[in-house]
Amino acid sequence: MRVAERTTHDAGTPARAGAVPSVPAAVVPLRRRRGTNREGLEAGRRSTRTLLWVLLAAAMVLYGFPFLYLLFTSFKTPIDTIAVPPTILPKEWTLENYANALGRSGVPASFINSIQTAIISTVLSLVLAVPAAYGITRYKTLSGRIFIMAALVTRMVPPVAIGIPLASMMASMGLADTPIALSIAHTTISLPLSIWLMSSFFEAVPKDLEEAATVDGCSRLGALWRVVIPVVSGGIAVTAIFAFLASWNEFLFALLMTAIRSQTTPVVIANFQTQFGLDWGSMTALAAVYSIPVILLTLLLQRRIVAGMTLGAVKG
Amino acid sequence: MSTRKTITRLATIGGICTAVALAASGCGAGGPASSSGSAGTSTVNVLVEAGGHAELTGVAEQCKKDTGVDVNFVELPYDGMFNRLSSEFSSGNVSFDVAALDSVWLPSFKDAVQPIDELFTDEAKKDIFPALVKEANVNGHFIGMPAWTNAEIILYRKDLFEDAKNKADFQAKYGYALAAPTTWKQYQDISQFFTKDGMYGTDVKGGVETEWLAHVLQAGSPMVLDDKNNVVIDNAAHKEALDFYTSLVKDAPAGAAQVDWAAAQNLFNQGKTAMTRFWAHAYRQIPKDSAVAGKVGTAPMIAGSAGVGGVPGPWYLTVPKATKNADAAKKFVKCAYDYNDKGIESNLGLAARISAFEKYQDQPGYESFKPLIETLNGKATATRPATEKWQQIVDTVLVPMLQKAVAGGDSATLLADAKKQIEGLLK
Repeated sequence: MRVAERTTHDAGTPARAGAVPSVPAAVVPLRRRRGTNREGLEAGRRSTRTLLWVLLAAAMVLYGFPFLYLLFTSFKTPIDTIAVPPTILPKEWTLENYANALGRSGVPASFINSIQTAIISTVLSLVLAVPAAYGITRYKTLSGRIFIMAALVTRMVPPVAIGIPLASMMASMGLADTPIALSIAHTTISLPLSIWLMSSFFEAVPKDLEEAATVDGCSRLGALWRVVIPVVSGGIAVTAIFAFLASWNEFLFALLMTAIRSQTTPVVIANFQTQFGLDWGSMTALAAVYSIPVILLTLLLQRRIVAGMTLGAVKG
Repeated sequence: MSTRKTITRLATIGGICTAVALAASGCGAGGPASSSGSAGTSTVNVLVEAGGHAELTGVAEQCKKDTGVDVNFVELPYDGMFNRLSSEFSSGNVSFDVAALDSVWLPSFKDAVQPIDELFTDEAKKDIFPALVKEANVNGHFIGMPAWTNAEIILYRKDLFEDAKNKADFQAKYGYALAAPTTWKQYQDISQFFTKDGMYGTDVKGGVETEWLAHVLQAGSPMVLDDKNNVVIDNAAHKEALDFYTSLVKDAPAGAAQVDWAAAQNLFNQGKTAMTRFWAHAYRQIPKDSAVAGKVGTAPMIAGSAGVGGVPGPWYLTVPKATKNADAAKKFVKCAYDYNDKGIESNLGLAARISAFEKYQDQPGYESFKPLIETLNGKATATRPATEKWQQIVDTVLVPMLQKAVAGGDSATLLADAKKQIEGLLK
């Protein structure tokens, strides 16, 4: 504050500058120079900040525009949705598309199926990934390293390559067209990522914490449950979100493995595109509704996600 | 401490949710269990493309009343249906008892579905368009019952065609009366005439192949392959058809290479084009708030030197060999034939039997049916070649070739290249 005041004085009018006779003449240019530097620095910071905000806003528009366009399209009339050239805002706002989409047979059931499948898949992923990642990071064995690399390799296989065999396996196990079959299939997608994510979070937890817990009388599992898990709770939230999203948005396995009893909403959304046309309005309306739970979940767990994402960054 | 409490709480909630989800996952929320595993039940699962679901809903209701066969529809998007069919047929474990197949898939799945010869009585064969009867017969057996069919017809702006000034100007310029086109030459003239003041005479679809193939038929050649599976894509008729197709580019909106069915339909419904060659169902799907609603006329597909010709787009109901519910499945297929006209009252508004179309052809709102019947009965009308590689030929050769052609490529060179590529695929 004092520096700022002094700087303001120094950079003042010649009359005010002249009102400080005690300052040696040689110092004045130096102070002025310092003041100018600080001002320049401030201005530089301000412009950097402005530039960052502009970039941030541009990125938000870039990422958010498709969703906004989808949202606006869901309120358009049929002819408006196919306008050439397209318009961003509806000329006439209507809820007809929502009525059509939600009134279509199978839509409410598909929502329930999506929720069931995503929950089971998320829990399965966490139940398997947390101990696996903990074991790999705490017991640094060769087999652990091979396992985690192998888990990564499974991410490199195109889903379509395993989709058809998986569908056949589920059918032969009598699980055809059930959410549990689809959940297991979805877990094959999210599990490798979950293990890798959880490993990085466990890596960030100092061993001393566990050792202290052990000294206080905790068993290894007790230390994991009472000390380590609370520390990585943000990471678990992040992993859960990713696993949930992977299942919630998955299309290919759902297409191959579901029929009457377990069809999820992504397949129902795709059903609006038929060989004979594309019902943009209803499709966008259902897609908008389907986005709501994910948006809410993300907002609800926002703090934990941010905390989880920065967990590795504060290590040491 | 509070973190641990939160975690415990979350774990409990997660556990409860999982328990509920697991308990519910045994049945799912979509409906009853698949019946294909239980032999002899009176419930059939019908796998159908999303757009075709409505077509069969009326049939299913009537079938339930008449035969007691209950129908569950498994609705899938068109783009994913082929994968699903491939997956289930190859595993030998099917989740459906009846599958509605696009005609182009029949050759690919001919070994996975069972003959339904008994349903093709003489009476039935007379009431189904000849091209469809021929296509349904694979290796001497009928394997699919057409449920509905389509073909491209001409949709045109009746208001513009009936405008007195347009009529006079057209007569003065071309020496004959302005009317719905019946020949290639007329189509070219009318397209040129209406290309003015920000409007275009027609569209040119570089993103799809069927329309060009219809012109090939009109020029008097089988499409791409002859009866003996020789590649004939470089013959004179194919070149003539390609030259006609590309001659319209100057009278069509820019970007023809990317124009597909959806784009062409949008352009017409927006009032940007005066004419379009399009699937007949589109007539009944013009939005009520469209600029052209109530102003559209219909005519049969245009004729070339071989006469009127179109490529039918039928869907066939088939019964998989792997189903354990074949009797009920065949009952449903018979219902679909018996009550074929029920589909006409759906959104899509199509059928497969001639008598079903004829029943509605004079009713208001069904003006597209007479031109459709005429096109489907056209002298040059024929179905696509019965080869398992057809979809591959379309995707990797025909569409890329058309896109190059409408962008100005030399037709003879392109057709010669296409021939080599197709021969390579068929080896």
